[in-house]
Amino acid sequence: MKCESCNKKHATVHLTEIVGTVKKERHLCEECAQSINTHLTKIPSPTEILTSLINQVAPEINEMSKIVCPVCGLSYLEFRSHGRLGCAMDYTIFRKGLIPLLEKMHSSTQHVGKVPSRAGKELIKKNELMQLRSELNKAVEKEDYERAAELRDKIYELSGDNDED
Amino acid sequence: MSSQATTMKISDLADNTGEWLRGTGPESDIVISSRIRLARNVARFPFLSRANVKQKKELEEIIRDKIKDSDISQDLCYLNLADITPVDRLFLVERHLISREHAGGEGERGVAFGKSETVSLMVNEEDHLRIQVIRSGFELKEAWKTIDEIDNKLEKKLNYAYSSRFGYLTACPTNVGTGMRASVMLHLPALGMTHHIEKVFNAVMKLGLVVRGLYGEGTQVSGDLYQISNQFTLGKSETEIIEIIESVIPRITSYERMARKALVSESREQLEDRVWRSYGMLKVARLISSEEIMHLLSQVRMGVNLGIIKDIEMKTLNELFILTLPGHLQKLEGRELNSTQRNVIRASYVRKRLEK
Repeated sequence: MKCESCNKKHATVHLTEIVGTVKKERHLCEECAQSINTHLTKIPSPTEILTSLINQVAPEINEMSKIVCPVCGLSYLEFRSHGRLGCAMDYTIFRKGLIPLLEKMHSSTQHVGKVPSRAGKELIKKNELMQLRSELNKAVEKEDYERAAELRDKIYELSGDNDED
Repeated sequence: MSSQATTMKISDLADNTGEWLRGTGPESDIVISSRIRLARNVARFPFLSRANVKQKKELEEIIRDKIKDSDISQDLCYLNLADITPVDRLFLVERHLISREHAGGEGERGVAFGKSETVSLMVNEEDHLRIQVIRSGFELKEAWKTIDEIDNKLEKKLNYAYSSRFGYLTACPTNVGTGMRASVMLHLPALGMTHHIEKVFNAVMKLGLVVRGLYGEGTQVSGDLYQISNQFTLGKSETEIIEIIESVIPRITSYERMARKALVSESREQLEDRVWRSYGMLKVARLISSEEIMHLLSQVRMGVNLGIIKDIEMKTLNELFILTLPGHLQKLEGRELNSTQRNVIRASYVRKRLEK
């Protein structure tokens, strides 16, 4: 059967239109069907179906799918298919995808348990440094240079044994 | 920490069991053991699935040395799992000193454990380090105290991967946070017989706890032995998690005791018959499969607890659950055995033990 519209190509799309009480059958080739029936919903491709499914089930996957950890080389998709992370940095790199996952697994995303004393010391130091720096800014604003020098020395002293600062 | 000839060490263990099977401690008629494990990773190293051979070796060396240096216990011995046979590894799994995944893993990995087998430290398991403490009976708090101290000692030597938001960072996000799995092994034959066990499981699951078989995740339940452990590791502190489990266990044990009482008062003859038949079978059978022995030991254990059988110690029964497993039988015989051979040796071993 040839396409009703162009009369050239083979008709592969068979439509039944009902307007009021009149039933009308149309036989078209794919091209003509696309151009004539713009009001018809386009049939989605398998990839589109998959993408929309993923978006429904785990919306973060689509967004995260191109992210790869620069430290261990693991991609977010590899993590989702095997369930294992590659390095500690992944918790930062994949954070956006991990948060909803952790929420599902643990009903929480904030650790409240033990703090290693080493991390504890650093956390305390970090907080102290932040405090001193804000004081320094205030002192400079007030043009209290004596106080500022004092604070600067304290900051140097505190950050001296920490190579990250 | 000694590293004596490993094969000799393992054979030394074969005719004994760890302290946690001695059948003492609170509620030990129903609670076999309490176990806690912590998952830890060393900062600045990839997790094991992304680590290359060199990094794995380096990790194994560092962690082994730090365990040695940190004065956890005088009598720790260390085994490199890559150096021992599959039967030896199976043997260590059966004793709960290493996990199945650790036994079946690849590359440089090892385990350190003490003579009493209450403490074990798995190196290069799913995480760089897994610390485990097992105690006999219902003693989670004690187990936590011990493991917390060990962890503190190691933490002074090892820089753990940790973030203030997510806690201890682990290879699998199901362990992140505390990195802690606390579990209690229960013997619940009467709840099984009276078909009330499902109710217990449903109640337990609502509290965020999981029920597993004797060897943890994905293992079948046999011998009416169940492990109840926490599912969540993030958002609750170690003590909170332990308190949740501690509040549930007494309810389950009293439910089991009630079920036992009901069985005694409603069908004493049938119950006694079941128990004595199982005991008889253990004493005379010539072939016993591993599935069958779990069932028979379970019945006899309940019989001893109810005072039906009086001439056998709880320790012996607890031990037989482990000593008759395939790895142990092969270790005792000193050779590999097929399943029929194991069934013969299992039956003869049990007969001998019960004659004593």
